[in-house]
Amino acid sequence: MHCLNYLLTMIIEIKKFGTTLISRQTGREAFLALQPFLKDVKEGEIIEVDFDGVLTFSPSWGDEFLTPLFNIYGDRLVLKNTSNPSVQATLDILGKTI
Amino acid sequence: MELKEFYTTKELAELLGISRVAVFNRIKKGDIKAQKMGRNFIIFKKDIGDIDVFLSDLFRTAKDWAISQKEFPEQFYCQNSGVFQARVTKMGGLMMENKDAKELFSLLTSIAGEIGNNSYDHNLGQWPDDPGIFFGYDLDKKQIVLADRGLGILKTLKRVKPELEDHEQALRVAFTEIISGRKPEARGNGLKYVRSVIANNPINLIFQTGNAKLILNSGSANLNIKIAKENIRGCIALITY
Repeated sequence: MHCLNYLLTMIIEIKKFGTTLISRQTGREAFLALQPFLKDVKEGEIIEVDFDGVLTFSPSWGDEFLTPLFNIYGDRLVLKNTSNPSVQATLDILGKTI
Repeated sequence: MELKEFYTTKELAELLGISRVAVFNRIKKGDIKAQKMGRNFIIFKKDIGDIDVFLSDLFRTAKDWAISQKEFPEQFYCQNSGVFQARVTKMGGLMMENKDAKELFSLLTSIAGEIGNNSYDHNLGQWPDDPGIFFGYDLDKKQIVLADRGLGILKTLKRVKPELEDHEQALRVAFTEIISGRKPEARGNGLKYVRSVIANNPINLIFQTGNAKLILNSGSANLNIKIAKENIRGCIALITY
């Protein structure tokens, strides 16, 4: 886990959790591992989720990790480097349920 | 009720998710037994048996295990989701290096992951006999096979939708409605995702649970569900691309 506080932006590099992210269990574990870092998030701070380097992503993992982040931070959540086809397809289906 | 005893080449191509030319080529090679009728060929259903079994040896092996617990090589067995995760990751790596799969590797790995993990998520602690899943792939034949001897979709969805009456209804709900058999813990969108990926990419799926068999063809979100002769207690899936 690597976080930078720069201009009130916290960066979450998804690849630090692995590059094939497909199950609910590992998504939940990743979200739990993130908790200590979320404590430091300041009011108004942007949470940038960077998908660079991710090979395979899925709705099960995404639902355990991104859905709760979205529920907490809403519009302050920014998704970056989402061109991988499985990332795009997953965001598309999660977008319909969040 | 289906009265016709044969397929036209066009029908068979659609069922197999391949082109008509590919069907003709397989007839020429002798892979598919066909009869000439006028200027066209027809293929008798009795000559081809089950389409999915005809398509894949891996599928036959998985189906024999799913139906009658027949033993299969250890290399295809993933007793828990950790083993499955490792093998799916390996498949993704091999696909990245493979000329036929490299464009689709992330989506193929992702949908195989969703189907396989669904089996664990819905059956953990409740496997009727053999825990875990069958997971095999053949990059030359461009296919991935997954199977489990779990409870099946009808039984798991009935917990949250008691009004479901049969496997066909349950399969339709699983692929169309956002619902989860583990409600309220986690929402199920995995099979809807699989359907949406297939609708937008050159990937096909045959998926059976109980006696309901779904065929999803590349480029279409239409659910073609048929009643199969044999009953599968858990689930079985064949992905081709």
